[in-house]
Order: sequence, then C-alpha cells, then structure tokens
Amino acid sequence: MTSIRKWFRPFEPATKSGNVIVFSAWLIIVVIYWIISSLGTKHLFPTPAQVCEGFISLFNEGLIVHLASSLSLCLQATFFSLLISLVIAYLSPLPALRPLSVAMSKVRYLPLTGITFYLAMIVSNARQMQVSVLVIFMSLYFITSLLAVINDIPKEEIDHARSLKCSRWEVLWEVVIKSRIDYVIDVLRQNLSITWMMLVTVESILVAAGGLGVLIKNSDKFMNHGRIVALQLVILAVGLLLDSALNITRKGLFRYSKFN
Amino acid sequence: MTTYERRDTILHVENISVSYGNKTIIRNVNFEEKDTAVPGKVQGQVIAFLGRSGRGKSTLFRVLTGLEKPATGKVLIPDYSRQPANGQQPAKVVEEGDVGFVDQKYTLFRHKTLYQSLLFALRKSMSSTAEKHGRIMQYLSDWGLEKIKDQYPNEMSGGQRQRTAILEQLLSSGNYMVLDEPFSGLDVGNIENVKAAFELINRSHELNTIIFSTHDIELAVQLADSIYILGHKNCAGSDDAGTIVHHYDLKALGLAWHPNFTPQHLELVQNIRSSLLAS
Repeated sequence: MTSIRKWFRPFEPATKSGNVIVFSAWLIIVVIYWIISSLGTKHLFPTPAQVCEGFISLFNEGLIVHLASSLSLCLQATFFSLLISLVIAYLSPLPALRPLSVAMSKVRYLPLTGITFYLAMIVSNARQMQVSVLVIFMSLYFITSLLAVINDIPKEEIDHARSLKCSRWEVLWEVVIKSRIDYVIDVLRQNLSITWMMLVTVESILVAAGGLGVLIKNSDKFMNHGRIVALQLVILAVGLLLDSALNITRKGLFRYSKFN
Repeated sequence: MTTYERRDTILHVENISVSYGNKTIIRNVNFEEKDTAVPGKVQGQVIAFLGRSGRGKSTLFRVLTGLEKPATGKVLIPDYSRQPANGQQPAKVVEEGDVGFVDQKYTLFRHKTLYQSLLFALRKSMSSTAEKHGRIMQYLSDWGLEKIKDQYPNEMSGGQRQRTAILEQLLSSGNYMVLDEPFSGLDVGNIENVKAAFELINRSHELNTIIFSTHDIELAVQLADSIYILGHKNCAGSDDAGTIVHHYDLKALGLAWHPNFTPQHLELVQNIRSSLLAS
C-alpha cells in the first residue's frame, strides 16, 4: 500500500518491477477502455475482433511484402539523407560553409508541397520521387539535430584536442566525428519516428510500388476501420522495433555511450 | 635553506594583454622564470598563480598554452630543436601543443580508452610501436593506472581521470604543463595523489615545469617555488583588468622544497591572503 502511495508522489524513484506493474496497469486500462468503448451498435473504434479480422485479411493480402517494400524505401531514404546530412553538418565548423547548414536547417519550415512540385519536374519515375521527397524531408531534420549535437560539444573538448597538437582537421575528425558517432545513431533513432510517420503519406504517391501507406489508403477508401487500426498497430510495432534496435546497436557498439 | 643555482630562462612572458571586444581581461602581464638547479638531485619548477575570481587566471593560462592569441605581447620558451648560439638557447613563441594543458574538468577523449588516449598523445613521436607501448606501460605502472588501461573516461573515478589527463599532456607536450585549478573539488586522498603526481613530474626531468592555479593558499605555498598574484591594480578604480600584482620567490625566501610547513610558511600565507584581499 505504501509503495502504491509512492507512485503518486512527484520525483519518487520507482523500482524496475514497480515500473513494469505501472506499465501493465496502463495497458490493461487501455484494453478495457477499448473493449467497453467498442460495445454496442454505435462505436468510435472498431472492436478487437474487427481488428483481428483486419489483421488476418491484411496478412492474406501480402502484409509482409508491403512491409518489406516500406522498410526498403525507408532504408534507401535513410541512407542517402544521413550521408548528405553528415557531410553538411560535419562541414558546418568551417565558417565559409556554415551558412549552408544553417539555411538547410531553417528550410524545414517550408511546406512539403513547395518541394514536391519542383521534384516532380526533375525526377523520372515515381519510386525516385518517393525516395527524393523522403531524403529531402529527412535531411532537413537530420541536419537540425546534428547541428545541435555539434554545437553542444564543450569548448574544453576542442581545447583538449588542440593542446595535444591536433591540427584543426584532426580536431574535427577526433572530437566532432569520431567522438560523436554514437550521437549520430541516436539522432537517427529520434528522427526515424518522423520518417516512419511520413512514409505512409509518401507511399501514396506510387500505389503500384505497394507499402504500408498503400494498404492504409485502400483500407481508408473502403472505410474498413478494423484493417486501419490493425495496420496502425503494425506500423507502431515496427517503428518501436527499429527504435529499440538502434538503441541496442548504439549501446552495444559504443561502451562509452551512456546517455539515455 | 637549500642551495640552488639559476640557469637559463625557461619561460618568458612579455607584456601580455587580452581583450574581448571592449573588455580587457588581462593587461601588461610580464614575468620570467629560470631553470633552477639543485645540486645532487633532479629538480623541476613549480609555479603557482593565485587570484580572486575574475582576475584572468584562466585567460592567462590559455595564452600560456598557445590556445589564445594575445592582443599584445608574447610567450617565449626555449627552442631545443635548434642549436645554442653564443651560449644561449634560441627561443620560440609558444604554439598550440608546446605546453600541456589540463583543465578543471580533466577533459579527455570520450571515445578513447586510457591506453588509446596515451597512444594518441604519442602519435607524433618517432619511437617504434614497441617503444611507445613500453613507455606507456611504464607510466601506467608508475602512476598506478595499469589495471584501468582499457577503461573509458566515463568508467574512471575523478582522480583517475585527472592522472590520465596529466599523463596525456606529459607524453604529448614534453616539459611544460599548465593545470587550471587541479585541486578544486578533490577529496583529501585525491589531493595527495595530485601532489604525488607533481613530485613525480618534478623529479623526472630538470626542465619539467608545472604551472597551476588554485584558491588554496597553503597548498600553493607548500608546493610551489614561485608564486604570482594576479589581481586588479586599482581595485576601486575603473581599471579592472587582471595583472600581476605580486611575486613571491620561495627559493629566495628559503621556503621552497621544504619538507615541513614552518611558521615562516604560515607568515607567507598571511601575506598572500592580505595581498589577495587588496587586489
């Protein structure tokens, strides 16, 4: 009883088992609310049975193939955007190139419609269009986050490298690039959620290529809410899986990476 | 009183001023230190800088290490890469890396283990890999860091980090080492460790020179053979740029390298305290 009371006191440290209990309790509450709110003839959310049926129908329709298509698109876009962002962000300590990275970061406020119009005139096929839109969109966010990481490097770390006879390029290599690789994985992890969300919209550009976005669009057209919720759950689960895979990779590869 | 002999100039600071915008941080800092030889033993130099907060100690240290370009003046050290001319060792202006620098936070490379950090510090040395390894292992053993050679900075204690930071600079920079408040925030045990490290550096080479700042006057009197007070010349006036207001040569006073803390040392502590309060 005392421990339950502690859960309602601000800044009270909770044990690992306590956290599991609290999390499970919330999950049960959400499931119960879902079951109750979907009872009767009029209901906002589809019933658990409808979602189950939706899931089976999606599976039969090739959910795995669509999922693979989405992941492939995501992987391609992530690779190119990360490459572009890293080059631009790593060159930001050069005064001559800094305006470029700062401007790229500010452009994230530009509506996507403005960009897609010009892209459509340049690219030759729809798949290329999908990748390009995602690359541009992701790069702007990656650059913003990477610039924040670089700006947060304490001056003492730069001075430390300089005092060890590092040339300015060596400082860049040791302090900014090598020393912060784990931060790049974390930036990727944090921004992947935006990409994953964006993916669904971008996939609707080319229906023939398939993907989770196409499945959700088709389900929406026929008002099949069971399928929509089932798909959303799949998208959420895959997103969380990617997030935790990146977190485990960071911690596994870099023993010194202790944040989060 | 220990007999000693003053030899060549090892550090010459001439008319240093540093300004940021309209604000002058330090002005007209001048001092000179000579190599001190004590017969029968290897004796390096320990120079302490004392001063109240905001008197420009850290700024002066950045200039001494070549990390900051002064608005006026220069810092000269002997250039041992050149042959002496007319019995005098040619001098050179201090550049980045000539003087080791350990900051208050004992900053290290977060992505390098202790061994990797020391190897990196030796990267410009012409020695073979085996020689470098041997030298590193010898230092690690002397400084009691052998067991943690594969640990990253975030896995080390404060004292271990500090010793690593000192060792790194020692391997990279050679004879000169500047330490900004090396005793701040340390417990009694770690203070003793740093004192032992000073002793180790001092005894290992005649030209080794440690320059440090501290707010602990007794510790400065106990460790240093030369103490400079950095302060404001005119405390009440508008000129609030830091400069050297006093110099205590403990060698000349017969108080340097003393095994015990005598009443004369205590008297000097009182004098320094008054000097600090007036600056």
